[in-house]
Amino acid sequence: MQNRTDKIKEIAKRLLDEEKVDLVLGHRKGTIPLKNTPGFAYNKDEVEELLWDGNCRSNLATFLPRLKDKRIAVVAQGCVSRNIVGLIIEKQIPRENLYIIGVPCIGMLDPNILREKVSGEILETKEDETKIILKGSGFEISVEREDVLRNNCKLCLHRNPTLFDELVVDEVREQNVSGRYDDITALENKTSEERTTYFDELLSSCIRCYACRDACPLCYCPVCFVDESNPQWCGKSTDPRDVLNYHILRAFHCAGRCTECGACEDACPMDIKVRMLTRKIEKDIQENYDGYEAGMSLDAEPPLATFKPNDPQSFIK
Amino acid sequence: MKNLLEYVGLEPGRIHFSWISSAEGEKFARVAKEVYESVNSLGPVKRLVKERVEVA
Amino acid sequence: MSEFEPKIAAFLCNWCSYGAADLAGVSRMAYPSNLRTIRIPCTGQMNPKFILKAFNRGVDGVWVSG
Repeated sequence: MQNRTDKIKEIAKRLLDEEKVDLVLGHRKGTIPLKNTPGFAYNKDEVEELLWDGNCRSNLATFLPRLKDKRIAVVAQGCVSRNIVGLIIEKQIPRENLYIIGVPCIGMLDPNILREKVSGEILETKEDETKIILKGSGFEISVEREDVLRNNCKLCLHRNPTLFDELVVDEVREQNVSGRYDDITALENKTSEERTTYFDELLSSCIRCYACRDACPLCYCPVCFVDESNPQWCGKSTDPRDVLNYHILRAFHCAGRCTECGACEDACPMDIKVRMLTRKIEKDIQENYDGYEAGMSLDAEPPLATFKPNDPQSFIK
Repeated sequence: MKNLLEYVGLEPGRIHFSWISSAEGEKFARVAKEVYESVNSLGPVKRLVKERVEVA
Repeated sequence: MSEFEPKIAAFLCNWCSYGAADLAGVSRMAYPSNLRTIRIPCTGQMNPKFILKAFNRGVDGVWVSG
C-alpha cells in the first residue's frame, strides 16, 4: 500500500512540475477514521496529502465531468478507469485533458465488517497486501484482507485499470469469482410477492438524501429526473412508492454503464444495498448482449445506445 | 425495463411492448385485446400505485 | 364499482400504432375501450419515467407500441 502511495505522489509531483496538468485528483485522509476523502492537489503541499489505502472507496470519476475544462491527472483503479472510459465514450470528458494514473487494486475494505471485528472504535488502520491491523483505544488486532473486503470488491473481475497512462505498480492477478450473481438469481427465483416484500424492506430506510446519486460517476445529468418539478415525474417524499420509483429509475439509468464501483453503497448513510438493483441490470445486460461489460474499451458500443438487428426483442409483440 | 419492474415485484403481464405499423389496424385490435385480457386477469394494480382512491 | 375494469395507458407512436389505432377505428374493428391512448411523437420519445408515472397515477397496465 505504501509503495502505491509513494508512487502516486512521485508521479503527481512530476506532472505538476512539468506543468502537464492543472491538478491531480486522488484520495486523502478524511476527518473520520475508515473514510478517505477525495483530494484535489493543485500544488506540491497538497500532493503530500495524497494516499492510497483500503479506504479509498469514493469514485473519482464522479468529479471529472464537472472539471472538464481543466487538465487533470486522476488516480484510477479498475472500476474507476472503466467509468472514465464510459465517460469518454459518452463524450462527457475529453481524453486529451486526462492523465490516468492507473492503480492495480487489491480491494477496498468494508467499514461495517471492520467495526464488527472489534468492540471499541477503530481509530487507525495499517495495511499491507494481505493483512489489516486495526488500532483503537486499548486494542490492536490483525485481520485478513480477504475477510474484510467489501462485497463488490470481493466480486470484482477487473482490478487492473483498463485505460491508463502510467501504472504505479505491476498489474495484479485478477480474481476468480464464482457465483457473482448468486444472490440476484436467488431473488429472481422467488415469487413476485416475496420480491415485493424484499424491496419494500430493503428501501424502507431510504431518506432520499440522494447520496447514491451524487457519489455515482454515471449521474452527471444537469437536472436529475427527481429534481424536475414541472412535470414532476417522481414524488419527493419518503413514501415507499416514491422511494421505489426513484431507485428503479436511477438503476435503470445506469443500465449497461455501471461498473460496480460500489460508490453508491459506500455513500449511503443508511447502508441500503442499492446494488441489488444495479447488479440485476448488469446481469441482464450480460445475458442479453453477449457478456457486455461497461468501460472495457474505448471502441466498445454501449448496447443500449446502439441499434443492432440482432438486439433481443422477444419482449416485443 | 420490463425485466427490472418484474424483478422489484410487478407482475409480468402488466407491461407490454409491441411493434405495429400504421397499416396493421387488425393487428392493433388483436394486440389491444391481448393486452386487455392480460391486465384484466391480473386484477387491480397493487404495486407503485399512489393516487387511485380505491387503493389508497 | 361492481366489476373490475382495468385502466391501461397506451403509449402509441404517432406514425405507427396511432395510425394503426385510427385504421382499426375507421375499419370498425372492435377493441377494448380500457385503453387510455397517449400519443407520443415517436417511440424514441418513450421514457421509462412515463411508465413509472403512469403506474403511480393508478393505471393497471401499460402498453408501449411503436
